[in-house]
Amino acid sequence: MAHVRRSRPAADTLGRRRALSVPITAGPLVRSLTERLGEDVEHLWTDEDTVEFQIDATRVIDVMTVLRDDPELAFFMLADAAGVDYGPTEHLEVVYHLYSWKHPAWLRVRARVNRADPRIASVTRLWEGAMFHEREMYDMMGIIFVGNRDLRRIYMSPDYRSFPQRKDFRLPDDAADSPAAGVNPLERPETWDLARFRDAPGVRTPALEAEDRATTAGELDGGGA
Amino acid sequence: MTTVDPDIRIPDPIELDAAEEARLRAAAGMMPSPAGPEYSGFEMVGIPDRPPQTEREREMYTLNEGEMLINLGPQHPSTHGVLRLVAKVRGEVIVDMDLVLGYLHRGIEKLSEYATYTAVLTYVDPMDYLSTMHNEHAPAIAFEKLYDIKAPPRAEYIRALVVELNRVFSHDLMMGFLALDMGGLTPILYSFIERDEVVELLSAISGQRMLFNFFRVGGVNWDVSDEFISRLSTWRSKVDKLIEMNEWMISENEIFTGRTKGLGVLSAERAISLGLTGPNLRASGVPFDVRKAHPYSIYHELEFDVITQQAGDSYARYMQRVAEIKQSIHLIDQIVDKMPHGPVQAQVPGIIRPKPGRRAYGAVESPRGLYSVYALSDGGPNPYRFRMRDPSFISLQAMPVMMPGLLLADTMAVISSLDPVMGGVDK
Repeated sequence: MAHVRRSRPAADTLGRRRALSVPITAGPLVRSLTERLGEDVEHLWTDEDTVEFQIDATRVIDVMTVLRDDPELAFFMLADAAGVDYGPTEHLEVVYHLYSWKHPAWLRVRARVNRADPRIASVTRLWEGAMFHEREMYDMMGIIFVGNRDLRRIYMSPDYRSFPQRKDFRLPDDAADSPAAGVNPLERPETWDLARFRDAPGVRTPALEAEDRATTAGELDGGGA
Repeated sequence: MTTVDPDIRIPDPIELDAAEEARLRAAAGMMPSPAGPEYSGFEMVGIPDRPPQTEREREMYTLNEGEMLINLGPQHPSTHGVLRLVAKVRGEVIVDMDLVLGYLHRGIEKLSEYATYTAVLTYVDPMDYLSTMHNEHAPAIAFEKLYDIKAPPRAEYIRALVVELNRVFSHDLMMGFLALDMGGLTPILYSFIERDEVVELLSAISGQRMLFNFFRVGGVNWDVSDEFISRLSTWRSKVDKLIEMNEWMISENEIFTGRTKGLGVLSAERAISLGLTGPNLRASGVPFDVRKAHPYSIYHELEFDVITQQAGDSYARYMQRVAEIKQSIHLIDQIVDKMPHGPVQAQVPGIIRPKPGRRAYGAVESPRGLYSVYALSDGGPNPYRFRMRDPSFISLQAMPVMMPGLLLADTMAVISSLDPVMGGVDK
């Protein structure tokens, strides 16, 4: 490895922002969005290569159908769907990234989901490929997708009772000052499911689990805040 | 296409008495058989030991007359890692298929929330372990957007160079593995010889042979030396011949074409709906390539076309890879010609703290398709949320769509043509 040398950055590149390699103009897309979707578009925001807005979670199917089928918009591809947890006292969020031939920008659609009743309509009717995205979000975040006909856990085992990517699920850590230090993962209060033993050993359907979680999450929010 | 014979009878399952079954289950370390005749017995080993949770699961695990379940994997050499497939078959013909994932789940997304931005770039390496450079590219793009910084031009050229080299050996291995899964042992040996030459090149530049850890936020770790460029041109002078030889062994082989043509056909609409990307989508005739559709790095400065195939079958997916190897080599020529001089890393502090509330999406075209990262910052040194979209995870969903009506023996030919890597699927 002696021949490999490390170059030092020149002074003119220090933190200076260059123009994006392919600058985009979001104007036509923003105009079409406000025209076609009207009041559904909230908090419209544009980045260098992304157009983003929030929608009401109850309107997700209507908005997505327009985005996909309207010839002016034509967002034919669901590039990504991800869940975000904003903490035990806040909400969950489902973030969709879409792509269209017509517009050279990524479109990001954010939908807030109530933590106490984490339900949102499934988009598997529009894109079959949303199935694994939604199963993963259910598995990791505990978001229930109404209308998804195969909402099983995908990574964790079927009898697992917690949601690892929620923010109140802390990783065990050897550090003494870690909030999860010395706590047995099964006894961590934030993952403790009060209905754990009530109906053992049968495995419960997502619908029943959601019911449980609604009560559990309510108690946790009240106690933790 | 083989038709299902409705009169086919399978022999009665082995009849075990309850005590003997309990003894055998205990000896095998299995749970006691739950109540209900439909959930007991060794012959039903694919059926979960519990009632179905969803409509689809009930449909999948309910057997009609003459049907049975065959369990493939997770420890099967042809499943490209630890993928478990449960096939519902009627005789030799597949009726339905279920995928069981999670055997390699390491929770990289969650772990990344506990690591600094720089350290996250090392965590993503072992995801899709055949396209490590691409794994690092997308987070690097996303974090640079978060932190409002750009890599110097030379660094962008070096990035493009290494990801195209990575694409060459990844597609090259796919050619060999596809042949291997259909019983041809020789091509994989040549594939590994070719891969080794590329890996030698990449290890000369990064110091690692598999998990390169080469990208940094704001640039790359090392500059390329003149010696590297000369080794690259030596490799370049022989690679066409090697690819040609491998292709000559596989592409025209009668057994290979007989087993892949017309197999696992996906229409363009279905492929888009299923979320397929990359070579799998282009083999169905959809010209979607992130390098063209949403150019990143320096791809807007390079000349190339989006290659597509029309057939959408396993053979088209194979031919698509062959064409993309040649295209990548063509791109490497352009990159080496155009590579500017200058620094390879912008000055970035050791611990990065992007402004709170910022969010960024970085997407690249990995050998398996659209690989993207969505990162959120809360102002701290670690990402608040780090989301990866792995293309093989999504493209595996095509299996239950393509398989019904095909023979059990074709499973491997179809799955191998999708080229999934379980490290990426399970994250």
